[in-house]
Amino acid sequence: MPPSSPAALDILNLRKHFTEPAVDGLSLTVRAGEFYALLGPNGAGKTTTLRMVAGLLEADAGSVRICGIDAFAEPIAAKQVLAWVPDEPMVYDKLTPLEYLEFVSGLWSMDVDFARHKADTLLDAFGLAPHANERCGGFSKGMRQKVALAGALIHEPRLIILDEPLTGLDAGSARQVKRVLTDLVAQGVTVIMTTHILEVAERMADRIGIIARGQLVAEGTLEELRARASADGNSLEDIFLEIVGGGSKGELLTGAPLHIDEKVA
Amino acid sequence: MSQTMALPALMRFTRHELRLAWRDWAWIFSGWRKTGLRRTLIGMGAFYAILHFVAYAVLSPHFADGFVFDQTALAVISVTVVLSFTMMLSQMIESVTRAFYARDDLDLILSSPAPSRDLFLVRIAMMAATNWVMSALVISPFLNVAASLGGERWLAGYLVILAASLTATGSGVLMTLALFRTAGARRTRLYAQILAAVVGAAFLIGMQVVAILSFGSMSRFALFDADFLAVHVPAANSIWWFPAHAVAGQADIVVMMLGASLAFFAAAAWCGAVQFPRIVVMALGVSENTPHKRAAEQPFRRRPVLGTLIHKELKLITRDPWLVSQTLMQVLYLIPPAVMLWISFGETAEISVLVAPVVVMAVGQLAGGLAWLTISGEDAPDLIATAPISAFTRLCAKALAALALIAAVLLPITVGMAVVSLAGAVVTFIGAMIAAGSAILIQLWFRAQAKRTTFRRRQVASKASTFAEAGASIACAGGTALVAAGSPLALLPLALLFIVLGISWSIRPKHNATN
Repeated sequence: MPPSSPAALDILNLRKHFTEPAVDGLSLTVRAGEFYALLGPNGAGKTTTLRMVAGLLEADAGSVRICGIDAFAEPIAAKQVLAWVPDEPMVYDKLTPLEYLEFVSGLWSMDVDFARHKADTLLDAFGLAPHANERCGGFSKGMRQKVALAGALIHEPRLIILDEPLTGLDAGSARQVKRVLTDLVAQGVTVIMTTHILEVAERMADRIGIIARGQLVAEGTLEELRARASADGNSLEDIFLEIVGGGSKGELLTGAPLHIDEKVA
Repeated sequence: MSQTMALPALMRFTRHELRLAWRDWAWIFSGWRKTGLRRTLIGMGAFYAILHFVAYAVLSPHFADGFVFDQTALAVISVTVVLSFTMMLSQMIESVTRAFYARDDLDLILSSPAPSRDLFLVRIAMMAATNWVMSALVISPFLNVAASLGGERWLAGYLVILAASLTATGSGVLMTLALFRTAGARRTRLYAQILAAVVGAAFLIGMQVVAILSFGSMSRFALFDADFLAVHVPAANSIWWFPAHAVAGQADIVVMMLGASLAFFAAAAWCGAVQFPRIVVMALGVSENTPHKRAAEQPFRRRPVLGTLIHKELKLITRDPWLVSQTLMQVLYLIPPAVMLWISFGETAEISVLVAPVVVMAVGQLAGGLAWLTISGEDAPDLIATAPISAFTRLCAKALAALALIAAVLLPITVGMAVVSLAGAVVTFIGAMIAAGSAILIQLWFRAQAKRTTFRRRQVASKASTFAEAGASIACAGGTALVAAGSPLALLPLALLFIVLGISWSIRPKHNATN
């Protein structure tokens, strides 16, 4: 991705305080057409940051620009080009995937014929076509996640933010989702994704940002992060653990050993 | 592996059930806020003490010269026992059904090596115990005062409540099992809910209908008229009065009632516990059905954003018969006024005055429930909040969806009333819509995002909104009745409505970007 690409997301000095600072002066820029993975330990502030970007949480301070639009000053214009997919798929049990997509396309005021065509394409891409007219209430978590993803993509957003999108997906579904996301990036769509599956970030992301204690502590391509970290290993896991202060894998595994009763075992 | 659970394990499970029952209760009354729970306990303690004074005021005249067991006394006590029983039965049908469908630990219980029959037996016993304690708490002030005024024999009332509770629990288990057998796992939850509401309301409504037919009065107390009872009820030694004699401490009847109810409960609980695992598996296996498949080539419909949102709300509500029945159950209470309307067809002025407040009250409460579903009960809040629509459009659509449903319920009633009294119908419609609008406003002010499945506990989220809704409905009902009667005093309820809405607005919680 050329460094000169315009910013799809520009976060400046973002702050959010709950009982303690959750996001503490975070600044971050994601270029258009980039696949950006946001990593960090639990409670680091990843989801809080992204929820503020999506307009789901009010920031205490700072600014967010989405494709050049001030998201706090012009939230509706910003939301027009944005899609948010939470980790817990939120779909309506009483609607079918097709009805859900019709509803979402109505919210984004899409042309109905185009929306219908797009819905069919997405249902096919996610392997949901055979279930297009079944109510979501009977779906597995993975299927619901795919319906939610289809809903996020139907209005052709320029920036897609996904919070742990692969959680609960089986290997086949995860591959489907990854392929769709990679295709989107190839088409110029910007994808920002949080994940705990470091291998996914390692393989898919153009750039990786690491958040700890509400601050961006490292950012760059895998090679840049590798160069920065003094980790012995070469994997992102080693680099991640080095940067967030978790120590090496060996250190992490030196806690109290787990004893399993021989009789039970 | 033993087929019967060891006693210590059974005791542990009983403790677990007790803890769950207590936490459930505490959550309902305090929303798990420590200070809230303390305040609730103090408040309920004070209320319990005050109830003793009320009971004393009611009972002391009857005990002043020794309690006379005439037909009125027999009827009042027996009716109270039967009324308590129907309420308990209604509660038990609901609890047993919930135990099949909605307990989070069913997977754990069924997959554990402990015999699920024994665990469910404990669970059913706990339901009976909880039912007894809750009922006893409500009735005990009257029993305590009666015991202090008329002797300790009145404490036998506690045993009568226990017998009623055991019988209600056993009946609830058997009725729910019968529903599963006849209606199947998919429909039982809905049918059980309707049955529970009908059982809970039927006795009260039945009394009211008899009062209307016999005396032309809405008051159920008219049935306790001594002359009426002398003609229409059995002699004092009839088996029908056994509950009253038992409450008054007639030992042989108490023992007989308690023994019979214990035997019935044991048989029903055993029957239920044996079948529980199979039925739970059936209930857990119920998945969302799609009754009518949409044609694959059917195009999307063109709608404005507001229309899209309203259409979604209406579709979700109409596709959820369980929720619809929960909200529409309140319409049951329109039956007595409907009977009144039929009886007093010629007296138009009277009808408006009598019917209007009932309709307005019912619509106000119905609107509160529907507004909660559309405004707070959003299953995809993130989707709605990240859509490019203003908060005003979003909330407007949700309020309009609730109003549309209210209008659909209200219109046939209004048309029916218009046949008798056009002016009365118009006044009632306006009053009802004001009540609905007030309830929707209160729901908007106190909105708190929640899953629709938590509808049953919507009152827990905000007791302030529950009281405000009730206050607004009462004010609207009173105001409508007074307007229908042409009284200038209608301004007083109107002022009360403004006060209720004003207070609600001033104490409304702050909302963030998501809601």
